[in-house]
Amino acid sequence: MSLGLNKLYSIAQTGSKYIKPGLKTVGRRCASSAPKDGFIYVNKEEPSMDFGDITDRAAQTLFLTELVRGFGVTLAHIFKEPATINYPFEKGPLSPRFRGEHALRRYPSGEERCIACKLCEAICPAQAITIEAEERADGSRRTTRYDIDMTKCIYCGFCQEACPVDAIVEGPNFEFSTETHEELLYNKEKLLNNGDKWESEIAANIHADHLYR
Amino acid sequence: MVIKYFGVDRFFTFLRTIRDAGGIRASLYKLYRFDNLRPGTLVGTDKFGNKYFENPTYFYGRNRWVEYAPQYGMEYDGSQVPAEWFGWLHYKTDYLPMNDPTRPKYKWMAEHTENLSGTPGQYMPYSTTRPKIEAWVPSKCK
Repeated sequence: MSLGLNKLYSIAQTGSKYIKPGLKTVGRRCASSAPKDGFIYVNKEEPSMDFGDITDRAAQTLFLTELVRGFGVTLAHIFKEPATINYPFEKGPLSPRFRGEHALRRYPSGEERCIACKLCEAICPAQAITIEAEERADGSRRTTRYDIDMTKCIYCGFCQEACPVDAIVEGPNFEFSTETHEELLYNKEKLLNNGDKWESEIAANIHADHLYR
Repeated sequence: MVIKYFGVDRFFTFLRTIRDAGGIRASLYKLYRFDNLRPGTLVGTDKFGNKYFENPTYFYGRNRWVEYAPQYGMEYDGSQVPAEWFGWLHYKTDYLPMNDPTRPKYKWMAEHTENLSGTPGQYMPYSTTRPKIEAWVPSKCK
């Protein structure tokens, strides 16, 4: 930096060496010291070893190579395998315990499991579940209303832990986003339908976890 | 061995990938549709026509993928993967759905549908019970 400033200063004083190479600048270029005793030092001049000059030279070298090395890194990353996955064609690993969209399950006979004990309604910390029960024609106790407000739900999984008959489960599905709010106010039909659609996966998940609970 | 050292085998893999995709034109269409053109083994097809591929040379998380059926065009969606294939695609199980003994098949199980939000088939909430308070209809009293 100081070298450059010196040069600028000398150009300002004597004009450019290309336009009017003054004696003074020629002397400066050939030798650091003015010729004395009638000889001129013609060998390669030792570079200045001032701390500032060393730093400047090092910085110039570094910054020049740094550009090239930076481009090298960019080029290398073009050919690198990406670390991201290409959703929706590739999907990330999921646990059998994943808690996604709710579903009401059925017994293998097709009879709905829920007996309207309302334990899920009681334990729900967000109070997202509403249940009304009535006696069915055959005398069994069943729900007439089973509503879950999916926008209130915090997906804690307490409802499926509380359920004594494995009726309400949080299924594996997480791709149920909707365009409007009201589509997320699930009623009993929707939940049973979810169970019918996802039973294959729900049963496989329960089987995968049956040794641990 | 020498071929592999200099990476020439990748060129042959590339050619095979294009041939498997069905030519240059089909490869370009596939690349446009799926943002990706990769070699893989077809492990199965579901009832909607989605094809499932596997290639273990890719890292875990990218080594299984689905190519959505041609009838979906560019309207493919993550929810079009049916429940049977969901676990395999999400690395929950290494069993393919036809070999998995833990997957039951009941006659009441429903057909898989994609997420129908924003279409005429979307779910709209309704009450499943009779309201507790009913409006008074004067003519009834007479």
